[in-house]
Amino acid sequence: MAAHPVLVPEPQEALPDLDINSSQGLLQWISSVDHKQIGLMYLWMSMLFMFVGGVEILLIRVQLAVPNNTFLGPEVYNQLFTMHGTTMIFFVAMPAIFGFATYLVPLMIGANDMAFPQLNALSLWLTFFGGLLLYFSFLAGGAPDAGWFNYAPLNQYNYSFQPGIDYYCAGLLLAGIGTVSAACNFVVTILRYRVPGMGLKQMPVFVWMILINAFLIIASFPALNAALAMLLLDRQLHAHFFDTQAGGSAVLWQHLFWLFGHPEVYILILPSFGILSEVFAVFSRKPVFGYAFIVGSGITIGILAFGVWIHHMLAVGLGNVVNGFFSASSMLIGIPTGIKIFNWLATMHGGSLRFSTAMKFAVAFLVEFTIGGLSGIAFAIVPIDLQLTDTYFVVAHIHYVFIGGTLFGLLAGLFYWFPKMSGRLLNERLSNWFFWLFVIGFNATFLVQHVLGTLGMPRRVYTYPDLPGWGTLNMISSIGGFLMGAATLLLLYIIIKGIRSGHAAPADPWDAYTLEWSTPTSPPTLQNFDRVVPVRSARPFRDLKRPNDADWLKPGKKQGYHAREQAVD
Amino acid sequence: MRENKLLIKLVVVTETFFFGSLLLAFVYFSLAPGFRAQQLAALDLRTTGLFTLLLFASSFTYARAEASYRRGAAGGVKGWLLATIGLGGAFLVGQAREFRGLFARHIDLASNTFGTSFFTLTGFHGLHVLVGLIVLGILAAMAFAGDFDRDRPNSSVLSAVGIYWHFVDVVWAVVFSVVYVLPHFTHFGS
Amino acid sequence: MRSIFSSATLEAERLHALDLYFMLAALAVLLLVAGLVVYTSLKYRDKGDGVEPPQESTNLSLEMLMIGGPAVLVVIFFFLTIRTSSAILPPAGETTPAVVVTGHQWWWEAAYPGTQVKTANEIHLPVGQRLLIVGTSADVIHDWWLPAFGEKMDVIPGRRNHVWITIKKPGIYEGACSEFCGQQHAWMRIRVVAQTPADYTRWLAAAARPATPPTEAQALAGGALFAHYACSSCHQIRGTAAMGQQGPDLTHFGSRRTMLAGLLENTPANVNRWLTDPQAVKPGAHMPRFIFGQDSIRALTAYLTQLK
Repeated sequence: MAAHPVLVPEPQEALPDLDINSSQGLLQWISSVDHKQIGLMYLWMSMLFMFVGGVEILLIRVQLAVPNNTFLGPEVYNQLFTMHGTTMIFFVAMPAIFGFATYLVPLMIGANDMAFPQLNALSLWLTFFGGLLLYFSFLAGGAPDAGWFNYAPLNQYNYSFQPGIDYYCAGLLLAGIGTVSAACNFVVTILRYRVPGMGLKQMPVFVWMILINAFLIIASFPALNAALAMLLLDRQLHAHFFDTQAGGSAVLWQHLFWLFGHPEVYILILPSFGILSEVFAVFSRKPVFGYAFIVGSGITIGILAFGVWIHHMLAVGLGNVVNGFFSASSMLIGIPTGIKIFNWLATMHGGSLRFSTAMKFAVAFLVEFTIGGLSGIAFAIVPIDLQLTDTYFVVAHIHYVFIGGTLFGLLAGLFYWFPKMSGRLLNERLSNWFFWLFVIGFNATFLVQHVLGTLGMPRRVYTYPDLPGWGTLNMISSIGGFLMGAATLLLLYIIIKGIRSGHAAPADPWDAYTLEWSTPTSPPTLQNFDRVVPVRSARPFRDLKRPNDADWLKPGKKQGYHAREQAVD
Repeated sequence: MRENKLLIKLVVVTETFFFGSLLLAFVYFSLAPGFRAQQLAALDLRTTGLFTLLLFASSFTYARAEASYRRGAAGGVKGWLLATIGLGGAFLVGQAREFRGLFARHIDLASNTFGTSFFTLTGFHGLHVLVGLIVLGILAAMAFAGDFDRDRPNSSVLSAVGIYWHFVDVVWAVVFSVVYVLPHFTHFGS
Repeated sequence: MRSIFSSATLEAERLHALDLYFMLAALAVLLLVAGLVVYTSLKYRDKGDGVEPPQESTNLSLEMLMIGGPAVLVVIFFFLTIRTSSAILPPAGETTPAVVVTGHQWWWEAAYPGTQVKTANEIHLPVGQRLLIVGTSADVIHDWWLPAFGEKMDVIPGRRNHVWITIKKPGIYEGACSEFCGQQHAWMRIRVVAQTPADYTRWLAAAARPATPPTEAQALAGGALFAHYACSSCHQIRGTAAMGQQGPDLTHFGSRRTMLAGLLENTPANVNRWLTDPQAVKPGAHMPRFIFGQDSIRALTAYLTQLK
């Protein structure tokens, strides 16, 4: 094994004060610039906000359980659903993704830290305080109440005079700056800090997806930040961007928001695609099928992401030509997405499948995400969109994508990487309970909402008349929601129990393929590597474990290696 | 460190999209009737054009500072940096003067969509110039503290800041063309 | 149950066909994926022998199939999309709309061009004719939608949108505002009363008449209160001095079945409740609470309910 030079400054060098060590507890975490600690803090932050967002939605499900309910008034209800959506997207899903990415990307590419460790810490804390600021609105007179996409002119002072929407702007601006700086950090880290030998074609799919994601963030978040700045000017300094009574435009907000918002949907799903590509390969004991096609389709989705935003606005009345164009581009997204699904199936085909909890979530993802993807195609078909948009069918669709897609992927990642991150194994029997409880609860909650949509129930109503079927379906949905709530509590218990008293995890419990598992301990030491496994294929750790069957020995697998090898030696 | 420059390039990309969004809003409103007339009445192409030339000149002086640094001419670095700060500062003074004149004529952020989109677009640009001036001030302080005297031709600080400063100029070139020059040649929204 | 599948208009019928094709295609894809998931999961379970399976990872023709199959579906559905869109939603051109609906927080105004008729929430339309409905908004964005009529229409301040409908049978059709529009978004329901052309013409003529002056004593007193208090600054009652435009036109209030955009049946008891404390009945509604004595409220109720 050739010892490669260490490529990244040691975390100690980056620390301003060398006296701070682990004995100082919380202070050591807060002041940390180590990517692993920052990654874990992102994940805990995500967990914290998931409980807050979860409580909000359970209150909502109580209110909706029966027709004409008066458990919550409209004012509180509208604040809760707005905060639920905003929280789950910006302060649960995004931090969870960044948590995995911050923890794993340096390890997967054989680096000791992110390119800019201090910037990395700044990104985390900007996001965290953005979340706190958003929640401060509850104390300041009322949370935002115009929905997570906050349409104009409802977001204007005339229609929402509590300060909630100002906090929404300020909180999301802070978090948005944190997100963009994190994305820039990922790009530099991935492009400049890979271990010699790891060309782009040898990168794990997860790293590829984070790279694509980072570019999506860099190009899409500025549109949101600009829109938020304009809205803040409207509300605080009486500008007229979205003030329709003074020449402002209601539609401009929608353009800017969805120019960000649709890429955001892919920002939330691509990392899960990356996680699943790792999980399917390892637990099928096979390389991921169609590596080039999975990566290529990811890039395709990234590019198409900027040409589909109008499909959120088909009912705005932009005309059949515009709608038709965006209908075509939106449907096209189905092709690269389909490629991924079928390639994962092909990865499983002929494999030797180990159904650990991670793999169970990955397999469940295939079905649940397909449902979400297909209902998504419905919204690309203009006339069907005009029927179903803004009904519970959309609510069902986005949750099949964000839970059945994003969250199932993240959970697969959690169960896959937990041993490496914590040094402990999770209780497999309880994890199995969690899996079934969550999957059943999830489908009970959202499958019926497709039907509610076709029956004509609009989204975001705080109550509804007692029309035939509405009460029953909503009750089923509410019961499912509480099953998911119970499952989430169980997950917290499993994690805490695992950290406190789980069996010690070996360095490589799953017989995995990528560099993060090649660190000699679980969790890795503060300095990730002092020598890195030589990288000659996309599965360097397997190459090391099975030198006679290494991927790079096979014909056509050595691209890009020789030049780099010579450069290093 | 090449990493610094790559990071700044990414920042520039994301800022481009930010200004693109503000510009989109400006253009969106500029298509409405009456907008162009206000543009022509409120804005003085010649005066602002003069200050624009100063800003462009600051890009040139900055490039001279970078060249001096590469040659190892520490004195040149200091002199050209001060010139850049002077030119950038003059541009901001010009913008402040213009804003004050408009306020005196009751054209402000709250007056109508022209005021709203004009002050937001040019204001955010001015803010970026200000940030650039602060960073240039730090660079000048470093230069006078002797940080660029020593033989450290590998420091990427000057070229990284340069990417940002030139970017701010390019943004102004686009903003100036769309906001000040274009209404003299097009008839949208007249 | 009325759903998007119980098409009440010719346009919704066109849509229904597209819905069916799509559901069949989607179901086929879902069954294919689910079938493959179950099959591979059962067949390739780990045997526990620790032996690695063959390490296959590429097959170009399989990849082409994965791209080609969905691509064919995309082309088919794009073609159907364009065809259906242009059939059901052609441009409005110079056609005079049958009705112009204006969304308000939280009720629907319906004006009938060419007449003085203005009504709220309960919209009468004739069957068997291809009608243009134009929508706009007085405040925030709302959305006009009746599931049985097919497509939605966002109503946006400063813009005019349209839909075409050809209602097949007389009857009552319900819908709701479908774009979140603030506190009472839930109670901004739509009720379309579809009538035969003869019934519709009769209704329109009746609706065009100004309000008949009350005769009964309590109603007379109510009418005087209505004129005296601020009611008339927001509400219009044609034939009286009340000409306000912010709130619903009440000229023929008593002939409506429901009130407050579908929240309550239009009964004297409910009108009384509403006038007593609007914020208790529909929190957030822009109707202020006037401190009336119960006598005045009873008189106003009597006046309003007799405005047939």
